[in-house]
Amino acid sequence: MSAANVTIRDALYEAPGPKTKKRIRFFTVVSLVVLAALIFLIIRQFYVTGQLDAKYWSLFTRLTTWKFLAGGLAGTLKVALVSSVVSFAIAFLMMVGRISKNKIVSWISTALIELSRGIPTLLFIYFFFLVAPQLGLKLPTFWKITLPVALSAAGVVAEVLRSGVNAVPKGQTEAAVALGMRDATVFTKIVFPQAFRYVIPSLISELVIVLKDTTFAYVVSYADLMQNARVLISNYDALLSVYLVTALIYILINYLLNKASVAVARHRSAVPGATK
Amino acid sequence: MAQEQNKTERSEQTPVIELRHVDKHYGSLHVLKDVNLSVQKGEVVVIIGPSGSGKSTLCRTINRMETIDAGEILIDGEHLPEEGKKLAQLRSEVGMVFQSFNLFAHKTILDNVTIGPREVLHTPKKEAQEEALRLLKRVGVDTQAHKVPAQLSGGQQQRVAIARTLAMHPKAILFDEPTSALDPEMIGEVLDVITELAKEGMTMVIVTHEMNFARRVADRIIFVDHGVILEENTPEAFFTQPKTQRARDFLNTLKGRDK
Ligand SMILES: Nc1ncnc2c1ncn2[C@@H]1O[C@H](COP(=O)(O)OP(=O)(O)O)[C@@H](O)[C@H]1O
Ligand SMILES: [Mg+2]
Repeated sequence: MSAANVTIRDALYEAPGPKTKKRIRFFTVVSLVVLAALIFLIIRQFYVTGQLDAKYWSLFTRLTTWKFLAGGLAGTLKVALVSSVVSFAIAFLMMVGRISKNKIVSWISTALIELSRGIPTLLFIYFFFLVAPQLGLKLPTFWKITLPVALSAAGVVAEVLRSGVNAVPKGQTEAAVALGMRDATVFTKIVFPQAFRYVIPSLISELVIVLKDTTFAYVVSYADLMQNARVLISNYDALLSVYLVTALIYILINYLLNKASVAVARHRSAVPGATK
Repeated sequence: MAQEQNKTERSEQTPVIELRHVDKHYGSLHVLKDVNLSVQKGEVVVIIGPSGSGKSTLCRTINRMETIDAGEILIDGEHLPEEGKKLAQLRSEVGMVFQSFNLFAHKTILDNVTIGPREVLHTPKKEAQEEALRLLKRVGVDTQAHKVPAQLSGGQQQRVAIARTLAMHPKAILFDEPTSALDPEMIGEVLDVITELAKEGMTMVIVTHEMNFARRVADRIIFVDHGVILEENTPEAFFTQPKTQRARDFLNTLKGRDK
């Protein structure tokens, strides 16, 4: 998404003139001052309420704490990775179904996509956690979080893929058809590879959402970063410090994902022919 | 020109392309009205007519890129089916070159030329590549083989598109205004390639606004207006003494524009 924003911003606004530059500088200074003041107030409040006491922070001097968090992070990444792959596979099928010439298949796929997009992740989790076992479907804890996260993302991913497919110029299909390619070949060899390139930045943005959704793992007691953070909190009675560190780790990962997305977008527009 | 004496002999052969009583509508617009056309092996037919007269539609119905409402289309005597494997196969036998080149943007020039034979004719990779390089050399872009389309000029792209079509060993090639999207300095290089093909006896249907080229390359000129074939003539006759007033008017507007 951020990559798209860059181009939209470039298209909408001209380069700032001297007056605008001056105004931008003024507001930059003002916002920095406000931000500094806010941070100061927060830290002061922490200090006053004793949250900065060593007892809340000393756990971070221990290697075991970090190992424990790293274990949680590994769990988070595993869920995120497998969810993404599963989600992509389901999304691909739903998208192909939706653009199918078969009306019924298309209608069913559209309905599934809307369901996936409309149902909150937590409801999917409750289904696999609470309802499915009663129906005799007993899944390992890992899948109780991974499947719901995947299903919840699949609808959006399907629509992202479809937007990519729609963006491929009609002439590409026509040229392929004129060579005598069958529909399936045209799609797999010509249309989809180009569509996929168009939507890589959007797909990476979706990864951020998947990553955030994995924090629901605590609901099913799967040892992800969030769940392990909660264990630390109750063991050390250190709410704020642990949450702060955990939040920083999440921010860092998502920041890196965003960077990757922008880099991919740049790379695409730098290689002529990759876009268009 | 052995053309004249061949004429009787040719008409006994099965035409490579034949349209019988073809009708097509876009909603209420009657774009093609009872179109009859047959193109013999080795013949170059040039379609001329004002913008919006249905030239592209006519060209595109030949390999069913556009459906028709009535009539028949035959390729080498075989009825063109409406869909399926047989249609794909017949399409592979009729090449098509588009105004906007339509090279596959994500593939190298070499892969653009090999993908048809590889995917449709199941030619072995090595063989397909050797032939592709030979064809690229023939159209003068072999040095660009490993670039992607956007790195090439329009003229180069269109020559690659022709090579891509030739790689399928088509029985005929359809050109829909192959030079209309090109900068003037690149038109010549593309027309030269097409002229070469004509000399080698390739069967072609060409929609173009390049009148000198049409006169040079055509065995027959078809003048289309409002979806009707108004006139079929030899280039000599068509350009010197067109039979219809419409054709005369059309040629006059072109002359006026050239000055
Ligand atoms: N897909 C379409 N839907 C509706 N009308 C179309 C479509 N394609 C072409 N037309 C119309 O059909 C007529 C013939 O178009 P075309 O064959 O492209 O003409 P030409 O190539 O001679 O300029 C035009 O009036 C055009 O607007
Ligand atoms: Mg046209």
